[in-house]
Amino acid sequence: MKNFSIKPPQVIILIFLIVLIGLAYVLQMDLIVLFNESLIKLVMNGVLVLSLIPMLNAGAGMNFGLPVGITGGLVGLCIAVNFRLTGFSGFFMSLLLSVPICGMLGWLYGLILNRVKGREEIAGTFIGFSVIPLMNYFWTLAPFQNRQMLYPIGGQGLRPKISLEPYFYNVLDQFCLIKIGGIEIPLGLLAFYGLICLFLYLFFRSKVGRAIIATGENEAFSKLSGIDIAGIRLIAVILSTILAGIGICVYSQSYGFIQLYDEPLSMYFPAISAVLIGGSTGRRTYIFEAVLGAYLLQTIYLLTVPIANQILIPEVTEILRTLITYSIILYALLYRDKRGIVH
Amino acid sequence: MEIKNLSKRYNGIPALTNISLSVKAGEIHGIVGANGSGKSTLLNILSGSPLIRETGGYHGEISFAGNRVNLKNCAEAIRMGIGMVHQEFALLPDLTIAENIKLSREHTHKFTDRLFGPKYSFIDRKRNDESAARILQKLRLHLDVDVKIINLSTNTRQFVEIARVIDRTDLKLLLLDEPTAVLSRDDGLNLIAVFREMAQNGLGILFISHRLEEMQQICDRVTVFRDGAIVSSYEQGEISIKNLARDMIGHTVHKATAPKREIKARPAISFQQFSVKMPGEEINGLDLTVFEGEILGLTSLSGHGKLALGYGVMGMYPTGGEVIYENKKIDRMDAKANILNGIYVLPDDRQALGMLPEHSLADNIIFTGNQIKNLFSINFGRPFSGFIDRKKADAHVHQLVRNFEIKCASLKQKSKELSGGNQQKVCIARALTLNPKLLIVAEPTRGIDISAKEKILQMLLDINRKNHTTIVIASSELDELKRVCDRIAVMVDGKIFKILLPDASETEFGLALAGEEGTKNEEF
Repeated sequence: MKNFSIKPPQVIILIFLIVLIGLAYVLQMDLIVLFNESLIKLVMNGVLVLSLIPMLNAGAGMNFGLPVGITGGLVGLCIAVNFRLTGFSGFFMSLLLSVPICGMLGWLYGLILNRVKGREEIAGTFIGFSVIPLMNYFWTLAPFQNRQMLYPIGGQGLRPKISLEPYFYNVLDQFCLIKIGGIEIPLGLLAFYGLICLFLYLFFRSKVGRAIIATGENEAFSKLSGIDIAGIRLIAVILSTILAGIGICVYSQSYGFIQLYDEPLSMYFPAISAVLIGGSTGRRTYIFEAVLGAYLLQTIYLLTVPIANQILIPEVTEILRTLITYSIILYALLYRDKRGIVH
Repeated sequence: MEIKNLSKRYNGIPALTNISLSVKAGEIHGIVGANGSGKSTLLNILSGSPLIRETGGYHGEISFAGNRVNLKNCAEAIRMGIGMVHQEFALLPDLTIAENIKLSREHTHKFTDRLFGPKYSFIDRKRNDESAARILQKLRLHLDVDVKIINLSTNTRQFVEIARVIDRTDLKLLLLDEPTAVLSRDDGLNLIAVFREMAQNGLGILFISHRLEEMQQICDRVTVFRDGAIVSSYEQGEISIKNLARDMIGHTVHKATAPKREIKARPAISFQQFSVKMPGEEINGLDLTVFEGEILGLTSLSGHGKLALGYGVMGMYPTGGEVIYENKKIDRMDAKANILNGIYVLPDDRQALGMLPEHSLADNIIFTGNQIKNLFSINFGRPFSGFIDRKKADAHVHQLVRNFEIKCASLKQKSKELSGGNQQKVCIARALTLNPKLLIVAEPTRGIDISAKEKILQMLLDINRKNHTTIVIASSELDELKRVCDRIAVMVDGKIFKILLPDASETEFGLALAGEEGTKNEEF
């Protein structure tokens, strides 16, 4: 498939991870519990990371407009909660609702991106920024009825944080949970993640998928081969947006809250960092890279908090964490190959 | 200026070998040669272009005004009094004429000179404008020097470019790279008169041009370059357009590969007033009919439009005019529709347009066929349509790899790892997979070693003979075209200038390429 070479970001991350695990061991923390947690964290964030792949492969760069898909997914979640759907029906209903909503948003998003070819990343960033205030109006004005979602005083407008506890909190995390000794393996959750990976794998084996990869690799060639570049890119953007919507649904059911308003803005940097840590260079990205990156980054996030609490210098780890997230993106922007753009 | 045994290699490929020539003060020395004959390399060396140093420098001796010199960079060349007028414009479009001419040599206010130092001093616009106007008058041009470059015609820009160089008072040697290429004939003659005048004032001029007629008029001496070596040189009086044309193209050994034949068939495709807006290679009102089953060569000097035909047909650039293919008018240059109708184009720029470098060579061969014609796919119905039937595809690729002798480690080798010749074979294999009725190939042998060249030409011939594919080859390799083509169309300024038979003489081709009417009895 591909020769995986270890580059500076991976080295730094691995060293940091080993130091953290070493510290955790020295501080006599329960490594098994941390491992269990890491699997959940992987899937919780992993789908969002996977959602970047179609756009990366289409040559549209890193999806800095991830908030578009996230808000779409949030709308789906809110509607499901509004009807007080619980358990699997609630979760799947929110998925079912997010897919068409994200599809629509992705279509619009893709149309814009097709007009700013070559500058998708900066355009995406600002599209993401502008979607947020737009949706803020929606959250405050939309006629949701479930009182548990609304501000307790006044009864209008959604709360910034809606608890999923009474609805479908952890529904996927707890599904088919296998316990071997202390190790807990969330089989249902992993299977769901695996299914999405499999879907993406098959998608990129299909004709459209291969056209997307070819377009990302050499747009002029694809055009000369009679491929509808705009259409292909649109499909990739829509797929990315839909997966982002699914990603936020999975994230919310693990986390236990729907986070509205400005929260989507804090989610796309970690996702992009993760895919870069996995070895992507901002171009063709393999599913394995997205999974690996998500696992490494989330495990680091997971380890830093308890370790910081133990050694009582919370700032240091937090600073390192932030530093890693942002510097990896900077690194990728610095060292990626320029892509050839024709028209 | 005296040059002795000058040699230059790019990555081991010789560009110039043992060039010796001299330019005296007050002399105009002309250099002619086909594309890639080393003229531009010579000028790059003389103007101290950094490109030369980056690629390993040059060998040989250059002496200037009696002293041996070693040109390391442009600044040094300028200090010695060498000025160059580039083929492409090096002007700043948003500045005025005066500002462009006087750039970096501005007149400044004395007072601020002392106050801030000459670098940060205020510019004396009035004196600048005056001196720029004086220079332009020297060129017999009466222009408002406050006009911005962006508003000028190409003709005038060329004059400004020249004015910029001759403004220098310390100029001893002027290098001109096709200064008249973009000018109309009258302006060209006007300019030439100016050059003559300058030469009479003691300036040495090295003059490069494709217009042989000009050469005859202006030059005291003419040297002909071919393949990086000097073929011949003529003193004034013995210069004749015919001789120059013959020497430029050269006599090469014919490895006759295609027997001559008469094609009297239906037209496969005909272009009427076809134009393609490809920057640098514009086609402008082309009329051409290609007959079914023939191999048509398309040649021109670079920039005259031979490469744009394929791109135009595939809709890569905006087009105009009419194209009639198989008795039907093509309304829109749409790549997909055209491929389905049996037209396929192989681009000249293999790396940028011709392949997927990260994909395996097998994927490269089957890509277009699979995407457009659904070859080698298993269909499970939407949306999972078009998974590749690997077995079928591999068998097909294997067959082609064996037939074409594509040298590769395995079918899964990335195409970027292959050599240029093998990459081109992969491209042709991809075209063959589509089994087109009309194949337009641009520069099929560019950057490929000799033996692979022959193989590729043979492949094209085989495709033509066995599959009855009509082929249009756009190439600057004239002797290759002469070996495989049934007819050769020569383009000048984006139009067909003349259609010659492959056995036409070298002189005829040379004249046609330069856009000169020779004797009046050619076949069309």
